[in-house]
Parts: sequence; C-alpha cells; structure tokens
Amino acid sequence: MKIGSIRHVRGFDVARPISIGVMLGIMLPLVLLPLLSIFVFGTSKGLGVFWSSLIAPDAVFALKLSMVTSFWATVFNVIFGLFGAYVLSRYDFWGRNAVIVTISLPTAIPTAVAGFALLLLWGKYGMIGKFLSEEHQIMFTPYAIILANIFVTFPLAFGVIKPVFDTMSRSLEEASATIGATRWQTFWHVTLPSLRGAIVSGALLTFARAVGEFGSTILVSGNLAGNTQTAPLYIYAKFNEGQIEAANAIAVVLALLSFVIFSVLFFARDWLEFEAQEA
Amino acid sequence: MIARMKLAPDTDQLHVSWAPDREKQTGVAASVVGISKRFKKARVLENVTFDVAEGESLVLLGASGSGKTTILRIIAGLEQPEQGRVILHGTDVTDLPARERGVGVIFQAYALFPRMTVEKNIGYGLRIRHRPRKERRETVDRLIKLVQLEEHRKKYPWQLSGGQQQRVAIARTLAYQPQVLLFDEPFGALDAQTRVHLRREIRALLKQVKVPSVFITHDQEEALELGDRIAVLNNGHLEQIGTPDEVYNHPATEYVATFLGAANLLLGVITQGEVEIGSARLPAEKETKRFREGQSVKLVFRPEDVCLSRDANLPEGCRRLANGVIEEVSFVGAYERLNIRLDLTHRVQTANEAPLYQVTINTPEKMTGVPIMVTRPKPEANAAKYNAGDRVAVGLTSFSVLPNYTLARQR
Repeated sequence: MKIGSIRHVRGFDVARPISIGVMLGIMLPLVLLPLLSIFVFGTSKGLGVFWSSLIAPDAVFALKLSMVTSFWATVFNVIFGLFGAYVLSRYDFWGRNAVIVTISLPTAIPTAVAGFALLLLWGKYGMIGKFLSEEHQIMFTPYAIILANIFVTFPLAFGVIKPVFDTMSRSLEEASATIGATRWQTFWHVTLPSLRGAIVSGALLTFARAVGEFGSTILVSGNLAGNTQTAPLYIYAKFNEGQIEAANAIAVVLALLSFVIFSVLFFARDWLEFEAQEA
Repeated sequence: MIARMKLAPDTDQLHVSWAPDREKQTGVAASVVGISKRFKKARVLENVTFDVAEGESLVLLGASGSGKTTILRIIAGLEQPEQGRVILHGTDVTDLPARERGVGVIFQAYALFPRMTVEKNIGYGLRIRHRPRKERRETVDRLIKLVQLEEHRKKYPWQLSGGQQQRVAIARTLAYQPQVLLFDEPFGALDAQTRVHLRREIRALLKQVKVPSVFITHDQEEALELGDRIAVLNNGHLEQIGTPDEVYNHPATEYVATFLGAANLLLGVITQGEVEIGSARLPAEKETKRFREGQSVKLVFRPEDVCLSRDANLPEGCRRLANGVIEEVSFVGAYERLNIRLDLTHRVQTANEAPLYQVTINTPEKMTGVPIMVTRPKPEANAAKYNAGDRVAVGLTSFSVLPNYTLARQR
C-alpha cells in the first residue's frame, strides 16, 4: 500500500464524511439556522406573549387578508394556467413561442418592478386607472393585492401543467372521441383526471408564493394596517416599529405554513408522479 | 345514433351478434372510396378504395410509411382525407366527427383511461351516452364475462398484462356496438410468443361477436393468420386486395410477391404461350393469355413452389423450367433451404424482334447461372438428399406471370 493513498483506509472512504460535513456546514448557517431562530425567538418570551401577539386584531387581519388574496390569485392562475397550457400545447399558431416566453416572464421580473408597473397601469393617473371613477379605483385596495399576486405567480401553475400536457399521449383523447365523447366530456373525464397531480402541485406552489409576496404588494396595497396590510407587510411594519415579538409570531405562522405546503408537495410526489407515468 | 346504441334484449346470451341490424341488409359494412391524402406535399395515400364485408376481418398490410395508419385514422374520423369518401353501412360519414361515427378503435398502446378501473373503462361509452345505470351495469357484466376478466374488474390498467389490457380495449368498444372495429398494430407492443397466442384469442373473439374489423400490421404472418382478406399497401397505393390464398399464391405485383414471404423473380418474354427466360422456356398457356406476344414479363415464384429431380422426370403438375446446379444446402428450422444456379444462357435474338423486349443476361451470371432460392419441408428433404454441386432439373408447381413495365431493365 502506498503511503500517499488515504482514499480508502481499510474500506473506509474518507471523502464521504468530509463531503457530507462540508455540505451541512454550508447549509446550516445559510438555511437551517435562520429558520430555527424564528422559532427560538418566537417563543423566547413565553407562549403567552407569542399567543397574544398572534391574536392581535391587526395580526389576525393581516393573516386573513394574505390567505384570501392568495386564494383568489391561486384560483385565477390555476384556471388560466390550465387553459393556457391546453391552448399552447394543443394548437400551433404564429407567435406561439413568443406567448410562452411572455407567460413565463414574471418569474424574471423583480417584484418591486411588477408592483410599480401595476401602479403605472391601474393607478389614478395610469393608462387604465385614469378611466376609472374615484370610487372604483382598485389600487390601494385588497383587489390590488390580488392583482399583484396574480402577476407575480402567473407562470407557476402554467409551468407545472404545461409539461404534463405536452407529454400526455394524444391517443387517450382520441380514444375518448372515437368512443363518442364530446370535447367537454373528454376533457372532464379523461384529460382532467390525468392532470390532477399537476393541478394540485401548481396550486400549492402558486399559493405558497402568493402568501409570501412582499415587493409588489408593498407598492400597490398602501400598507394600511387592518385594511390592506398582508402578513409579510405586517412583519415588516412591526419590525420597523420595534415590536419584534409581534413580527415574530406572524413569521412563525408563515414559516409553518410554507413548511406544511412543502411537505405536502414533497411527500405527495409518488402520488403526483402516478399520472405522469401513466399518461 | 340512438338506434345503433340499443343493445340486444337477450342479455344472458354471449353468442349474440353485437353488430347493428342494419348490417344484414347490405353485406358491406364499410367502404373507403378513392381516398387521397397528403401531409405537407408528401403523398401519403393515393386513390385507395376497398370494402369491408359484414363480419369480415380485413388486414391492411404494409411497411412503415405505407399509409396504413392514415387509412385507419381516416376511417375513424381522426384524420380528414383530401379526396374520397368513407361509408359506414351505407351512410357517408366523411364529414362526421369521430365521436359521431360509432367506430371502435383499439389503439396500439390500447389507450385505456389510467384513472378508471376495468369496469369503468368498459362502461365509459354508455356513461357518456347517459344510458340508464341498470343497462350500463348489465352491459359491463356481459362484456367482462365475454373477455374473461371477471376477477380483474376492479383493477386499474397498469395492474393488467398487455393481453388483458387489449381485451379491455376491445370490450370498451363493443359496449357501444361499433359499426366496425379498427385495430392499430394490435400486437406491436408484445413479445413474439404472446403475440401468436393473442391473435388466436382475438380471432376467436371476433368470430363470436361478428363485428367487421380492420387490422393494420406490417407482419405478413399476422396478416395471413388474422385476415379473411388482405390488402397490401405500398407507398400509399393499394397493390392488391384478396384472400390470403390469392395474395400469397397469386400476387398481382412484384411488391406483393416479395413483401408477403420470399419470392424468386426472373425476367422473360412471352413467346407462343410460353415464358422465355434466356434459353429456357416455361409452358404457361393459361398464365400468359393476357399478354401480347413478345411482351416483357416477370416470372414470380415462391421458394416452396419449386420441384427438383435428379433426372428429367419431374412430378405430376410440375412444369419444367431449366436445369441447375445446387450451390448450397442449409437448414433453417423447419425447412431445408437450397441455393440453386439455373443454366439460363444468353438467348439469341430473332431477326424480327424489337430490341425493346430483349432480355439478355450479360451480368457475371451469364457464366455462372441465375441464382434462385428453394425451400423444401423436412420429409421431402429427407426423402431425396442433395449436396452442393449436384445437377438437378428444376420445375415449378405454381408461379405468377406479371407484366414488366420497367422496360429493358437488366437483371
């Protein structure tokens, strides 16, 4: 045995513990410890403080507002993503690729730019906004938050559903047609069930992203506590006011929520992949 | 549409004809008339016409790219022809969408709905037609029994073998009483052994349900076994349609002869009721009747239609072609294969013969003889053994004479 060879010492691979250690060493301070500190700080002053910060009216309102606006943005984007994926994978037309690129564009646009763009379009002096009467203005209302959420999460559901459409064998739909089904029956009984997994994961991704949206909402919502303040805005506002406990309580809730959503996505993967392999 | 969907009232019987009543009146279940189709300038089908009779199974046989799948898709309504009509039981359905045609397609990979159980797959046709629950259940029960999948009715497609999936696919179409069943390469995805087993099973099933069917395949053995008739397609063109016996033993074109099994091909001219090939003359009074004197023809015969003899006495019914030398003897499974070189020397042209019809042998084969392939079944091979180098008399029991349109082409 050569002296310089330390790669295998009696069947023990030194590279293994070293590389795992390095990986964990990078991950811990960057990802795991920040998450952990939320939970540590959140409960450091006792569960009572945590609970009372959580049930403060503005906090509850911010959480509710985040859920509701994210929900409607998700509904819209899943339906549109489904429709868009259907059209773009079933029909070939001039400029199709340009449309696909455009749909995916919001992923690359900074969210602050997105919010600013919405203001320029829908704001009081914006291109569309100037035609709306004073009481129908939508900027600085919950609708503006939904609009911003839609813009920012637009490509997510589409991006998950489209590949499934593309790889789905046409013969299933053709079989359904020769059996005598109308287009709608085929879509409802054959196409949609095959997309179940993609729709669920697309919706979860969209929702998770929308709940955490900050950059665009802070511009279009007006950030009025108890009125247009979403949960991330609440965290930011309370932090600025020095109420760390209040900010922390909401942060814990949001972190837990994304943890739950992610677990569902991760552990449901077998179930989600079922149709990918069958279709 | 509604009339076609009605099921036979006697639900207990399995030997019911599943075909609609209308079938019995005409005798022709489906017709394809003058279908032409091109994809982006490439011609796929050129004026294809054929009928499928009641209860008949017709096989469309052709290499890949011959247009057979396109015909199937046109009959099903999944593709529109440029010209021509599709007629199902006397009704022109060319302009009807697939769902209103009432044809059953068994797709290559079966295309069973992955999220539905066996019974839901089979019941799908009646479900989307909003048939009463009782009728749906009865039909599904009967069909599951027919295709012998009773113990699998609650399973999903991925839990079934290829053969079982195929039976589900067939039952799924039978549920709505299709006018015609279309099978797209039904055994393509299966291994050789299952394939043979399954096509017998399907053949038996079709005899039972009596629904006219169209199969497409590139496998000649499959075509011969499955088809009441075979239509041979080449490059979007229908070469020949006929019973397996007709297309195999009396091929209309060189393509049919060579695609369906092996064939020997010799070029010759017609001379006084005989086919003249080089120095040999094959008596063929009947076969040459439709040709002009001096016309250039192809003589096509199968390896198994050759008879051999050590002396000049060929068996009864065997017409003498030429002498030859055995070049090689080999065993190929059930057969013995002989490569023989025929003594066919250069024929001297007569004075008044047009040079157009000249058939010369001026390749190296002029010296060595023209090669042909002969096969003999084992008993025959054992009864009269030949070795390489033996000289034999060569005769033909059966052959076809086809016009040779490629003028003055040299062999």
